[in-house]
Amino acid sequence: MKWFWCVFFAFWPLVAVVLCAIAPSMGWWLPGPAASPLGHRIDDLFYMILVITTITFVGTQVGLAYVLFTGARRTDPDVQEKTWFSHGSHELEVIWSTVPALVLLFIALYQLNVWAEYRVKDAFPKKDMESVLARLHQKRTARDSIALAEVTARQFEWRIRYPGFDAEGNLLPLQEDPQPTDLYAVNDLHLPANAPVMINLKTQDVQHSFFLPDLRVKQDAVPGLVIPVWFEAEHIRSYPLLCAELCGWGHYKMKARFVAESDAGFLNYLRNLHSQQNYDGVQQKADDGDE
Amino acid sequence: MRTFIHDQKVSAGMEAASMAPAISRSGFRCLVGIFCLGLTLFSGCGKLDFTPREEFSRLEPYAQNYVSTVLKEYYGTPTEMVVWDRLPVKKHLSTGKVTEATDHQVVLELSEPHQEITSGTELLWTSGPLKNQGSSWIRNWDEKTHTATLVTALKDPPEAGTTVVVGPGQVLVRGRHLYAVHCQHCHGVSGDGNGPTAEYLNPLPRDYRKGVFKFTLTQAQERASREDLARTVEEGIPGTYMPSFKLLTPDESESIIEYVLWLSMRGETEYQLVRFLSDDYSKESVAERVKDGLEKKKAGETDYETYASIREDFVTAVNDPEDMQSELDSMIELMVSRWTSSQTPEARLAPQENRVAYDARSIAHGRELYLSKDLNCVACHGDAGYGDGPQTYSITKDLETGKENVEPGLYDAWGHPIQPRNLHTGIYRGGRRPIDLYSRVHAGIKGTPMPAFGAKLKDQDIWDIVNFIYSVPFQTEQAGSGMQKAEDPASAEKEVAIK
Repeated sequence: MKWFWCVFFAFWPLVAVVLCAIAPSMGWWLPGPAASPLGHRIDDLFYMILVITTITFVGTQVGLAYVLFTGARRTDPDVQEKTWFSHGSHELEVIWSTVPALVLLFIALYQLNVWAEYRVKDAFPKKDMESVLARLHQKRTARDSIALAEVTARQFEWRIRYPGFDAEGNLLPLQEDPQPTDLYAVNDLHLPANAPVMINLKTQDVQHSFFLPDLRVKQDAVPGLVIPVWFEAEHIRSYPLLCAELCGWGHYKMKARFVAESDAGFLNYLRNLHSQQNYDGVQQKADDGDE
Repeated sequence: MRTFIHDQKVSAGMEAASMAPAISRSGFRCLVGIFCLGLTLFSGCGKLDFTPREEFSRLEPYAQNYVSTVLKEYYGTPTEMVVWDRLPVKKHLSTGKVTEATDHQVVLELSEPHQEITSGTELLWTSGPLKNQGSSWIRNWDEKTHTATLVTALKDPPEAGTTVVVGPGQVLVRGRHLYAVHCQHCHGVSGDGNGPTAEYLNPLPRDYRKGVFKFTLTQAQERASREDLARTVEEGIPGTYMPSFKLLTPDESESIIEYVLWLSMRGETEYQLVRFLSDDYSKESVAERVKDGLEKKKAGETDYETYASIREDFVTAVNDPEDMQSELDSMIELMVSRWTSSQTPEARLAPQENRVAYDARSIAHGRELYLSKDLNCVACHGDAGYGDGPQTYSITKDLETGKENVEPGLYDAWGHPIQPRNLHTGIYRGGRRPIDLYSRVHAGIKGTPMPAFGAKLKDQDIWDIVNFIYSVPFQTEQAGSGMQKAEDPASAEKEVAIK
């Protein structure tokens, strides 16, 4: 029976190695392939951590198996071998304190770039963002916000405010406070694809979390704060937008969609929104008159 | 014609019971454990039923019985709905005619844009020799050619022109399922706005049972159109707990709306019937009638009412087709005609003139109208537009707390306290488009004290008011301040003195 337990515990590191090796190709590890450049780098970090934890896991399991086997052998009759009493070994204590510390330090330093680019405002790809705004012909000064939309979480939906157009039809910059020209939508976020775009994230009530699983973007919306969040969708398509913070009994209802559009498509969407929002009900009659 | 729809029942307890023989005696304790767990978990899953309205319990038992019977006959229960053909609701996936048929395949000409037809959909023959011979079931549906391949071959292929109902009642069944997932926990099983999560909400969820919906683009006397309900489902109602359900497909949204309309009609039937019977057959009025009868008896009159005679009268009235049945008929007829007429294009508000430009002149004129004695907007919304007009505290002013804005003086049609809108928030519950605000002013808000001004105002004036409402959240000075910069009163006095 003792050999069974030895084999049993030695079996798991093998399983771990196999699972770790095939996990990325099977898509078990992350919610689908990343759809943003930063997402790829975040995935790489995840995989690196997966490798480190796998090595650690396998190492400890192999150690455990070794102890089991030697311990089991010593219980055989006629074996005179004595156990090695390791408790209180200063050397060992130093080793298993410093090695994990170094590994953690390595991870901490290695991910700094990604973290900064994702979270630190000064490290945002500001130039790229501004070039997108230029492509959209936004009438702006250097002081204007580079955000393209304000997303306000609310129990239990996402309300979105876009800057509107001026009298000549030029896109205006997003202002901190609502403007008469602003355009509004709900649960339907449209932004240009293939370029870094920024939103201002707010919440009207409790804490929510803005989660774009495909883009690897997750940011809490905190009452009282306006939090800038940027992302870059690689494909022109629709992505799920979810709330990732249990915000109340209707948390599950906070499903929305993020649609990445071409530049022209985005402007078109806003123009459509503009004409819908200014609909005064008369149009239909004018059409009838034309016919 | 009424069609019964059998829906799968929620009965987790039944499954647990059928598992029992498979479990050995040694597992008895385990079984008891599972049973207790099941009892706890599914204690809320009793038989799903429509709860009657409050006034129902004040009726005499026989009158209650009559109301329940009528409702059950024409509407059924949540899990076994009855589709009543008199109701103007889209019940079936589609109806149509056979154009070509073999014993295995039928080509159909469908009458209207229809919801997605899937395999397993029922085909109910409504004419020809196949009528009353049982339904056929679709194995495969080709949308391009409108060809249905049947699960079992027909003995005789139906003739061209045979009428058929595709998926009878399926729109309502689908709507009920979606309603249970998305709406029921607030709006309640019977649409009474009293689901389990409703008690946490302010404002309360809509009670459909009056047939009244607030935010519509229809004329003041009309009800909500389907587009109005669809817009509410899709966009939500900002400023309330009604969220947006934008990700529903058009079919899903349509199914929910048809089910909500059906619930509303059921609720209204109940409401009207109970209200009608309350006059003569509530416990209170019957007691009074009996008392009067006793007095008459004492006075020596021979023609007096007793409890038994009132009950007998009721039974006669119910059985007399000229009496209660025709009363019910006219109730339903009125309800149906009101719902039908509000779906017509004529019911929609149609401004004759385009919105006037959003400029200072228009805003100033709108403000003038807002403050005018004639329209008296300020009575509720306050002179500064904060929703704090004298009406909010003139009816029931709580002197003890002195909270005039919180302690309301206005009530909506459902008997709940209601506050006039604060125009400064920039939140427009019924939508922020010009046509939305136009409709609020022109037709009022149904079921609330907000009156319809359409008869009083020209389109131009309404647009001016709309422009004024748009301007309120952006104005720095309060309305009523004369639109001038505040001046130091001391210096003003000096000027007067100099003059």
